[in-house]
Amino acid sequence: MSGWAQFKAILRKDLIRELRTRDMLVSMILFVLLAMIIFHYAFTVKEGADLTYFTGGMLWVTFIFAMLLGLNRSFAQEKDEHCLDGLLLCPVDRVTIFFAKTAGNLVFLLIIQAVAVPVFALFFIQRGFLGDLLPFLAVLLLADLGICSLGTLLATISMNTRSRDLLLPILFLPLIVPLLIAATGATTLVFAEGVGFGSVGARLLFLLGFDAVFLVAAWGTYDFAIGE
Amino acid sequence: MKKLLSAPALFAAAGVLLVVGVVLAFWYSPIDASSMGFSQKILYYHAPIAAAGLVAYGVAFVAAILYLRSQDMKWDRLGYVSVRIGLLFSILVMATGMIWGKAAWGVWWAWEPRLTTFLLACFLYAAYWVLRSVVDEEQRRATYAAVFAIIAFIDVPITFFATRLLPEGLHPVVIGPGGGGMEGSMAVSFGICMLGMLMLMAALIRRDLAIEDLKDRVTDLKTSLGG
Repeated sequence: MSGWAQFKAILRKDLIRELRTRDMLVSMILFVLLAMIIFHYAFTVKEGADLTYFTGGMLWVTFIFAMLLGLNRSFAQEKDEHCLDGLLLCPVDRVTIFFAKTAGNLVFLLIIQAVAVPVFALFFIQRGFLGDLLPFLAVLLLADLGICSLGTLLATISMNTRSRDLLLPILFLPLIVPLLIAATGATTLVFAEGVGFGSVGARLLFLLGFDAVFLVAAWGTYDFAIGE
Repeated sequence: MKKLLSAPALFAAAGVLLVVGVVLAFWYSPIDASSMGFSQKILYYHAPIAAAGLVAYGVAFVAAILYLRSQDMKWDRLGYVSVRIGLLFSILVMATGMIWGKAAWGVWWAWEPRLTTFLLACFLYAAYWVLRSVVDEEQRRATYAAVFAIIAFIDVPITFFATRLLPEGLHPVVIGPGGGGMEGSMAVSFGICMLGMLMLMAALIRRDLAIEDLKDRVTDLKTSLGG
Protein backbone atom coordinates (compact mmCIF):
# COMPACT_ATOMS: atom_id res chain seq x y z
CA MET A 1 0.00 0.00 0.00
CA SER A 2 1.24 3.44 -0.79
CA GLY A 3 1.70 6.00 1.98
CA TRP A 4 -1.39 7.87 0.85
CA ALA A 5 -3.54 4.73 0.92
CA GLN A 6 -2.25 3.90 4.40
CA PHE A 7 -3.00 7.42 5.56
CA LYS A 8 -6.56 7.13 4.26
CA ALA A 9 -7.04 3.70 5.81
CA ILE A 10 -5.97 4.81 9.30
CA LEU A 11 -8.01 8.01 9.09
CA ARG A 12 -11.03 6.06 7.93
CA LYS A 13 -10.67 3.61 10.77
CA ASP A 14 -10.56 6.42 13.34
CA LEU A 15 -13.56 8.20 11.87
CA ILE A 16 -15.67 5.05 11.61
CA ARG A 17 -14.85 4.04 15.15
CA GLU A 18 -15.86 7.42 16.49
CA LEU A 19 -19.00 7.70 14.39
CA ARG A 20 -20.16 4.29 15.61
CA THR A 21 -19.80 5.02 19.31
CA ARG A 22 -19.92 8.85 19.24
CA ASP A 23 -18.94 8.96 22.92
CA MET A 24 -15.98 11.27 22.36
CA LEU A 25 -17.76 13.77 20.13
CA VAL A 26 -20.88 13.98 22.25
CA SER A 27 -18.96 14.64 25.45
CA MET A 28 -16.71 17.19 23.75
CA ILE A 29 -19.67 19.14 22.34
CA LEU A 30 -21.49 19.08 25.68
CA PHE A 31 -18.32 20.26 27.40
CA VAL A 32 -17.90 23.17 25.00
CA LEU A 33 -21.51 24.31 25.40
CA LEU A 34 -21.34 24.05 29.19
CA ALA A 35 -18.12 26.04 29.25
CA MET A 36 -19.90 28.89 27.45
CA ILE A 37 -22.57 29.07 30.13
CA ILE A 38 -19.91 29.14 32.83
CA PHE A 39 -17.98 31.84 30.96
CA HIS A 40 -21.10 33.95 30.65
CA TYR A 41 -21.61 34.02 34.40
CA ALA A 42 -17.90 34.30 35.16
CA PHE A 43 -17.36 37.38 32.98
CA THR A 44 -20.66 39.24 33.21
CA VAL A 45 -19.56 41.81 35.74
CA LYS A 46 -22.77 43.81 35.47
CA GLU A 47 -26.16 43.44 33.87
CA GLY A 48 -25.99 43.49 30.09
CA ALA A 49 -22.18 43.68 29.93
CA ASP A 50 -20.76 43.30 26.43
CA LEU A 51 -18.50 40.26 26.34
CA THR A 52 -17.34 40.75 22.76
CA TYR A 53 -13.81 41.55 23.87
CA PHE A 54 -13.58 38.22 25.66
CA THR A 55 -14.57 36.22 22.59
CA GLY A 56 -11.06 35.17 21.53
CA GLY A 57 -10.09 34.01 24.98
CA MET A 58 -13.31 32.17 25.66
CA LEU A 59 -13.34 30.36 22.33
CA TRP A 60 -9.77 29.15 22.40
CA VAL A 61 -9.66 28.18 26.05
CA THR A 62 -12.73 26.06 25.44
CA PHE A 63 -11.35 24.44 22.30
CA ILE A 64 -8.00 23.68 23.91
CA PHE A 65 -9.60 21.98 26.89
CA ALA A 66 -12.08 20.13 24.72
CA MET A 67 -9.18 18.92 22.60
CA LEU A 68 -7.32 17.70 25.68
CA LEU A 69 -10.37 15.60 26.56
CA GLY A 70 -10.54 14.22 23.03
CA LEU A 71 -6.84 13.47 22.70
CA ASN A 72 -6.76 11.53 25.93
CA ARG A 73 -9.81 9.59 24.88
CA SER A 74 -8.62 8.72 21.41
CA PHE A 75 -5.28 7.37 22.57
CA ALA A 76 -6.64 5.63 25.65
CA GLN A 77 -8.88 3.55 23.40
CA GLU A 78 -6.01 2.67 21.09
CA LYS A 79 -3.90 1.63 24.01
CA ASP A 80 -6.49 -0.29 26.00
CA GLU A 81 -7.73 -2.31 23.05
CA HIS A 82 -4.14 -2.88 21.86
CA CYS A 83 -5.05 -1.27 18.53
CA LEU A 84 -1.80 0.59 18.49
CA ASP A 85 0.25 -2.58 18.86
CA GLY A 86 -1.51 -3.95 15.83
CA LEU A 87 -0.94 -0.76 13.93
CA LEU A 88 2.76 -0.79 14.79
CA LEU A 89 3.07 -4.37 13.58
CA CYS A 90 1.80 -3.36 10.15
CA PRO A 91 4.41 -2.26 7.63
CA VAL A 92 3.34 1.37 7.98
CA ASP A 93 5.66 4.32 8.18
CA ARG A 94 5.40 5.86 11.65
CA VAL A 95 5.10 9.30 10.15
CA THR A 96 2.05 8.16 8.20
CA ILE A 97 0.46 7.16 11.50
CA PHE A 98 1.21 10.62 12.84
CA PHE A 99 -0.33 12.44 9.90
CA ALA A 100 -3.40 10.20 9.90
CA LYS A 101 -3.93 10.64 13.63
CA THR A 102 -3.46 14.39 13.33
CA ALA A 103 -5.96 14.53 10.48
CA GLY A 104 -8.47 12.49 12.50
CA ASN A 105 -8.18 14.80 15.49
CA LEU A 106 -8.50 17.78 13.17
CA VAL A 107 -11.75 16.43 11.77
CA PHE A 108 -13.17 15.94 15.28
CA LEU A 109 -12.15 19.43 16.33
CA LEU A 110 -13.74 20.92 13.21
CA ILE A 111 -16.98 19.05 13.86
CA ILE A 112 -17.10 20.46 17.38
CA GLN A 113 -16.36 23.94 16.13
CA ALA A 114 -19.08 23.67 13.49
CA VAL A 115 -21.56 23.25 16.34
CA ALA A 116 -19.91 25.53 18.89
CA VAL A 117 -19.06 28.64 16.86
CA PRO A 118 -22.63 29.48 15.76
CA VAL A 119 -23.95 28.96 19.28
CA PHE A 120 -21.10 31.03 20.62
CA ALA A 121 -21.82 33.85 18.18
CA LEU A 122 -25.48 33.78 19.18
CA PHE A 123 -24.59 34.03 22.86
CA PHE A 124 -21.77 36.53 22.91
CA ILE A 125 -21.31 38.60 19.78
CA GLN A 126 -23.49 41.65 19.73
CA ARG A 127 -22.66 42.95 16.28
CA GLY A 128 -23.04 41.62 12.76
CA PHE A 129 -20.04 39.48 11.98
CA LEU A 130 -20.91 37.55 8.84
CA GLY A 131 -18.64 39.82 6.81
CA ASP A 132 -15.69 38.91 9.04
CA LEU A 133 -16.17 35.18 8.67
CA LEU A 134 -13.34 34.66 6.19
CA PRO A 135 -10.47 35.99 8.33
CA PHE A 136 -11.90 34.08 11.30
CA LEU A 137 -11.99 30.84 9.32
CA ALA A 138 -8.34 31.34 8.36
CA VAL A 139 -7.39 31.80 12.03
CA LEU A 140 -9.49 28.79 12.96
CA LEU A 141 -7.92 26.43 10.43
CA LEU A 142 -4.33 27.46 11.11
CA ALA A 143 -4.72 27.30 14.89
CA ASP A 144 -6.51 23.94 14.67
CA LEU A 145 -3.70 22.47 12.65
CA GLY A 146 -1.12 23.54 15.24
CA ILE A 147 -3.23 22.27 18.15
CA CYS A 148 -3.81 18.90 16.52
CA SER A 149 -0.26 18.24 15.35
CA LEU A 150 1.34 19.17 18.65
CA GLY A 151 -1.46 17.48 20.58
CA THR A 152 -1.11 14.23 18.67
CA LEU A 153 2.64 14.09 19.24
CA LEU A 154 2.35 14.79 22.97
CA ALA A 155 -0.63 12.47 23.49
CA THR A 156 1.43 9.69 21.92
CA ILE A 157 4.14 10.29 24.49
CA SER A 158 1.88 10.76 27.50
CA MET A 159 -0.22 7.66 26.90
CA ASN A 160 2.92 5.52 27.23
CA THR A 161 3.74 6.89 30.67
CA ARG A 162 2.49 6.00 34.11
CA SER A 163 0.35 9.10 34.66
CA ARG A 164 -1.16 9.17 31.15
CA ASP A 165 -4.02 11.69 30.92
CA LEU A 166 -2.67 13.64 33.86
CA LEU A 167 0.55 14.35 32.03
CA LEU A 168 -0.88 15.60 28.74
CA PRO A 169 -2.06 19.06 29.90
CA ILE A 170 1.25 19.69 31.66
CA LEU A 171 3.19 18.95 28.49
CA PHE A 172 0.70 20.48 26.08
CA LEU A 173 -0.36 23.77 27.66
CA PRO A 174 3.02 25.52 28.03
CA LEU A 175 3.91 24.57 24.45
CA ILE A 176 0.65 25.82 22.99
CA VAL A 177 0.71 29.24 24.71
CA PRO A 178 2.35 31.08 21.76
CA LEU A 179 -0.32 29.74 19.42
CA LEU A 180 -3.02 30.80 21.89
CA ILE A 181 -1.61 34.31 22.10
CA ALA A 182 -1.85 34.71 18.34
CA ALA A 183 -5.19 32.94 17.91
CA THR A 184 -7.00 34.73 20.75
CA GLY A 185 -5.64 38.10 19.65
CA ALA A 186 -6.71 37.58 16.06
CA THR A 187 -10.14 36.21 16.98
CA THR A 188 -10.88 39.11 19.30
CA LEU A 189 -9.73 41.62 16.68
CA VAL A 190 -12.01 40.04 14.09
CA PHE A 191 -15.10 39.74 16.27
CA ALA A 192 -14.81 42.88 18.36
CA GLU A 193 -13.41 45.33 15.85
CA GLY A 194 -14.36 43.73 12.56
CA VAL A 195 -10.90 44.08 11.06
CA GLY A 196 -10.04 42.29 7.83
CA PHE A 197 -7.11 40.20 6.72
CA GLY A 198 -4.76 43.19 6.79
CA SER A 199 -4.88 43.69 10.55
CA VAL A 200 -4.61 40.02 11.47
CA GLY A 201 -1.99 39.31 8.81
CA ALA A 202 0.95 39.22 11.21
CA ARG A 203 -0.85 36.81 13.51
CA LEU A 204 -1.90 34.59 10.62
CA LEU A 205 1.68 34.43 9.41
CA PHE A 206 2.78 33.59 12.92
CA LEU A 207 0.25 30.74 13.11
CA LEU A 208 1.39 29.46 9.74
CA GLY A 209 5.00 29.50 10.93
CA PHE A 210 4.05 27.76 14.18
CA ASP A 211 2.27 24.99 12.27
CA ALA A 212 5.17 24.53 9.87
CA VAL A 213 7.80 24.38 12.61
CA PHE A 214 5.94 21.88 14.76
CA LEU A 215 4.81 19.70 11.87
CA VAL A 216 8.45 19.38 10.86
CA ALA A 217 9.55 18.79 14.46
CA ALA A 218 6.89 16.14 14.94
CA TRP A 219 7.75 14.54 11.61
CA GLY A 220 11.36 14.27 12.75
CA THR A 221 10.65 12.92 16.24
CA TYR A 222 7.48 10.82 15.92
CA ASP A 223 9.45 7.67 15.22
CA PHE A 224 10.92 7.96 18.68
CA ALA A 225 7.74 9.10 20.39
CA ILE A 226 5.64 6.16 19.29
CA GLY A 227 8.27 3.62 20.33
CA GLU A 228 9.01 0.12 19.13
CA MET B 1 43.75 21.22 29.57
CA LYS B 2 41.40 18.70 31.09
CA LYS B 3 42.35 19.88 34.54
CA LEU B 4 41.67 23.49 33.59
CA LEU B 5 38.13 22.53 32.60
CA SER B 6 37.43 20.45 35.70
CA ALA B 7 34.56 21.51 37.94
CA PRO B 8 36.69 22.97 40.79
CA ALA B 9 38.81 25.02 38.36
CA LEU B 10 35.70 26.33 36.65
CA PHE B 11 34.07 27.16 39.98
CA ALA B 12 37.17 29.08 41.07
CA ALA B 13 37.40 31.03 37.81
CA ALA B 14 33.68 31.78 37.87
CA GLY B 15 33.89 32.96 41.48
CA VAL B 16 36.77 35.32 40.73
CA LEU B 17 35.11 36.72 37.59
CA LEU B 18 31.76 37.24 39.27
CA VAL B 19 33.27 39.04 42.24
CA VAL B 20 35.50 41.20 40.03
CA GLY B 21 32.55 41.89 37.75
CA VAL B 22 30.28 43.04 40.53
CA VAL B 23 33.01 45.18 42.11
CA LEU B 24 33.63 46.85 38.74
CA ALA B 25 29.91 47.25 38.18
CA PHE B 26 29.50 49.20 41.39
CA TRP B 27 32.76 51.18 41.60
CA TYR B 28 33.97 51.52 38.03
CA SER B 29 30.91 51.62 35.77
CA PRO B 30 28.91 54.85 35.97
CA ILE B 31 25.36 55.10 37.29
CA ASP B 32 22.96 54.61 34.38
CA ALA B 33 21.95 57.94 32.86
CA SER B 34 18.40 56.82 32.08
CA SER B 35 15.48 56.96 34.48
CA MET B 36 16.54 53.63 35.97
CA GLY B 37 19.59 55.07 37.67
CA PHE B 38 21.13 52.92 40.37
CA SER B 39 18.69 50.02 40.01
CA GLN B 40 20.22 49.33 36.61
CA LYS B 41 23.18 47.72 38.44
CA ILE B 42 21.22 44.48 38.72
CA LEU B 43 21.56 44.14 34.95
CA TYR B 44 25.15 42.98 35.45
CA TYR B 45 23.85 39.78 36.99
CA HIS B 46 20.31 39.57 35.64
CA ALA B 47 21.18 39.43 31.93
CA PRO B 48 24.13 37.00 32.31
CA ILE B 49 21.94 34.67 34.37
CA ALA B 50 19.35 34.76 31.58
CA ALA B 51 22.00 34.05 28.95
CA ALA B 52 23.47 31.19 30.99
CA GLY B 53 20.00 29.69 31.42
CA LEU B 54 19.35 29.79 27.69
CA VAL B 55 22.76 28.29 26.94
CA ALA B 56 22.02 25.45 29.38
CA TYR B 57 18.74 24.75 27.54
CA GLY B 58 20.68 24.87 24.30
CA VAL B 59 23.08 22.24 25.65
CA ALA B 60 20.09 20.09 26.56
CA PHE B 61 18.72 20.52 23.02
CA VAL B 62 21.98 19.43 21.39
CA ALA B 63 22.34 16.56 23.85
CA ALA B 64 18.80 15.44 23.00
CA ILE B 65 19.58 15.31 19.28
CA LEU B 66 22.82 13.44 19.95
CA TYR B 67 20.96 10.99 22.16
CA LEU B 68 18.31 10.25 19.54
CA ARG B 69 21.04 9.66 16.96
CA SER B 70 23.32 7.49 19.08
CA GLN B 71 21.07 6.08 21.87
CA ASP B 72 24.07 6.63 24.12
CA MET B 73 22.96 7.20 27.72
CA LYS B 74 25.71 9.72 28.39
CA TRP B 75 23.86 12.25 26.24
CA ASP B 76 20.66 11.61 28.14
CA ARG B 77 22.49 12.35 31.34
CA LEU B 78 23.97 15.55 29.94
CA GLY B 79 20.52 16.67 28.80
CA TYR B 80 18.95 15.90 32.14
CA VAL B 81 21.63 17.74 34.08
CA SER B 82 21.56 20.75 31.74
CA VAL B 83 17.81 21.12 32.09
CA ARG B 84 18.16 21.05 35.85
CA ILE B 85 20.75 23.84 35.76
CA GLY B 86 18.78 25.77 33.15
CA LEU B 87 15.70 25.60 35.35
CA LEU B 88 17.69 26.91 38.31
CA PHE B 89 18.94 29.86 36.26
CA SER B 90 15.46 30.57 34.89
CA ILE B 91 14.07 30.85 38.40
CA LEU B 92 16.92 33.21 39.27
CA VAL B 93 16.17 35.28 36.15
CA MET B 94 12.62 35.76 37.32
CA ALA B 95 13.70 36.56 40.88
CA THR B 96 16.22 39.20 39.76
CA GLY B 97 13.79 40.42 37.11
CA MET B 98 11.08 40.93 39.70
CA ILE B 99 13.44 42.82 42.00
CA TRP B 100 14.45 45.05 39.11
CA GLY B 101 10.85 45.45 38.04
CA LYS B 102 9.86 46.61 41.50
CA ALA B 103 12.69 49.16 41.55
CA ALA B 104 12.32 50.42 37.97
CA TRP B 105 8.60 50.15 37.20
CA GLY B 106 7.16 49.97 40.70
CA VAL B 107 5.52 46.57 40.25
CA TRP B 108 6.73 43.10 41.19
CA TRP B 109 5.37 41.52 38.07
CA ALA B 110 4.75 42.88 34.59
CA TRP B 111 3.60 40.80 31.63
CA GLU B 112 6.66 41.79 29.71
CA PRO B 113 7.86 39.59 26.78
CA ARG B 114 11.16 38.41 28.21
CA LEU B 115 9.92 37.82 31.73
CA THR B 116 6.90 35.97 30.39
CA THR B 117 9.09 33.86 28.13
CA PHE B 118 11.21 32.78 31.09
CA LEU B 119 8.11 32.03 33.13
CA LEU B 120 6.86 29.75 30.37
CA ALA B 121 10.31 28.21 29.98
CA CYS B 122 10.12 27.32 33.69
CA PHE B 123 6.81 25.57 33.11
CA LEU B 124 8.11 23.81 30.02
CA TYR B 125 11.17 22.42 31.72
CA ALA B 126 9.24 21.61 34.89
CA ALA B 127 7.03 19.53 32.59
CA TYR B 128 10.21 17.85 31.30
CA TRP B 129 10.91 16.98 34.90
CA VAL B 130 7.46 15.52 35.47
CA LEU B 131 7.71 13.55 32.22
CA ARG B 132 10.96 11.94 33.35
CA SER B 133 9.48 10.96 36.67
CA VAL B 134 6.54 9.04 35.22
CA VAL B 135 8.43 6.75 32.83
CA ASP B 136 10.07 3.78 34.53
CA GLU B 137 11.97 2.15 31.72
CA GLU B 138 15.35 3.84 31.30
CA GLN B 139 15.62 3.78 27.50
CA ARG B 140 12.08 4.97 27.00
CA ARG B 141 12.47 7.75 29.55
CA ALA B 142 15.57 8.99 27.77
CA THR B 143 13.84 8.94 24.39
CA TYR B 144 10.72 10.79 25.53
CA ALA B 145 12.77 13.31 27.44
CA ALA B 146 14.89 13.94 24.35
CA VAL B 147 11.85 14.45 22.11
CA PHE B 148 10.34 16.84 24.61
CA ALA B 149 13.62 18.73 25.13
CA ILE B 150 13.84 19.33 21.38
CA ILE B 151 10.27 20.59 21.11
CA ALA B 152 10.57 22.72 24.25
CA PHE B 153 13.73 24.43 23.02
CA ILE B 154 12.08 25.24 19.70
CA ASP B 155 9.12 26.65 21.60
CA VAL B 156 11.11 29.15 23.70
CA PRO B 157 11.98 31.64 20.91
CA ILE B 158 8.50 31.18 19.42
CA THR B 159 6.99 32.13 22.77
CA PHE B 160 9.18 35.20 22.92
CA PHE B 161 8.09 36.16 19.44
CA ALA B 162 4.42 35.59 20.29
CA THR B 163 4.55 37.76 23.39
CA ARG B 164 5.79 40.56 21.17
CA LEU B 165 2.62 40.38 19.09
CA LEU B 166 1.05 42.26 21.96
CA PRO B 167 1.46 46.03 22.27
CA GLU B 168 4.85 47.45 23.20
CA GLY B 169 6.53 46.09 26.33
CA LEU B 170 8.33 47.84 29.17
CA HIS B 171 11.61 46.02 28.90
CA PRO B 172 14.63 48.17 28.19
CA VAL B 173 16.30 47.08 24.97
CA VAL B 174 19.94 47.50 25.89
CA ILE B 175 21.71 45.77 23.05
CA GLY B 176 20.34 45.32 19.56
CA PRO B 177 18.36 47.41 17.10
CA GLY B 178 17.03 50.53 18.75
CA GLY B 179 18.92 49.73 21.92
CA GLY B 180 20.66 52.38 23.95
CA GLY B 181 23.96 50.53 23.75
CA MET B 182 26.46 50.48 26.57
CA GLU B 183 29.24 52.75 27.52
CA GLY B 184 32.71 51.25 27.38
CA SER B 185 33.18 50.95 31.13
CA MET B 186 29.76 49.36 31.49
CA ALA B 187 30.50 46.87 28.74
CA VAL B 188 33.70 45.75 30.49
CA SER B 189 31.94 44.94 33.76
CA PHE B 190 29.08 43.35 31.87
CA GLY B 191 31.39 41.17 29.79
CA ILE B 192 33.23 39.94 32.87
CA CYS B 193 29.98 39.08 34.63
CA MET B 194 28.72 37.32 31.52
CA LEU B 195 31.85 35.19 31.23
CA GLY B 196 31.76 34.41 34.94
CA MET B 197 28.12 33.35 34.82
CA LEU B 198 28.67 31.09 31.81
CA MET B 199 31.60 29.47 33.62
CA LEU B 200 29.48 28.99 36.71
CA MET B 201 26.87 27.25 34.58
CA ALA B 202 29.50 24.99 32.99
CA ALA B 203 30.93 24.20 36.42
CA LEU B 204 27.50 23.30 37.80
CA ILE B 205 26.80 21.02 34.83
CA ARG B 206 30.17 19.29 35.24
CA ARG B 207 29.67 18.82 38.93
CA ASP B 208 26.17 17.42 38.44
CA LEU B 209 27.45 15.03 35.79
CA ALA B 210 30.04 13.77 38.26
CA ILE B 211 27.32 13.30 40.87
CA GLU B 212 25.21 11.31 38.41
CA ASP B 213 28.23 9.13 37.63
CA LEU B 214 28.74 8.47 41.32
CA LYS B 215 25.07 7.58 41.70
CA ASP B 216 25.40 5.04 38.91
CA ARG B 217 28.46 3.53 40.50
CA VAL B 218 26.71 3.23 43.84
CA THR B 219 23.80 1.48 42.15
CA ASP B 220 26.20 -0.87 40.34
CA LEU B 221 28.00 -1.67 43.57
CA LYS B 222 24.73 -2.30 45.34
CA THR B 223 23.62 -4.75 42.63
CA SER B 224 26.98 -6.51 42.63
CA LEU B 225 26.65 -6.94 46.39
CA GLY B 226 23.25 -8.48 45.81
CA GLY B 227 21.33 -5.57 47.38
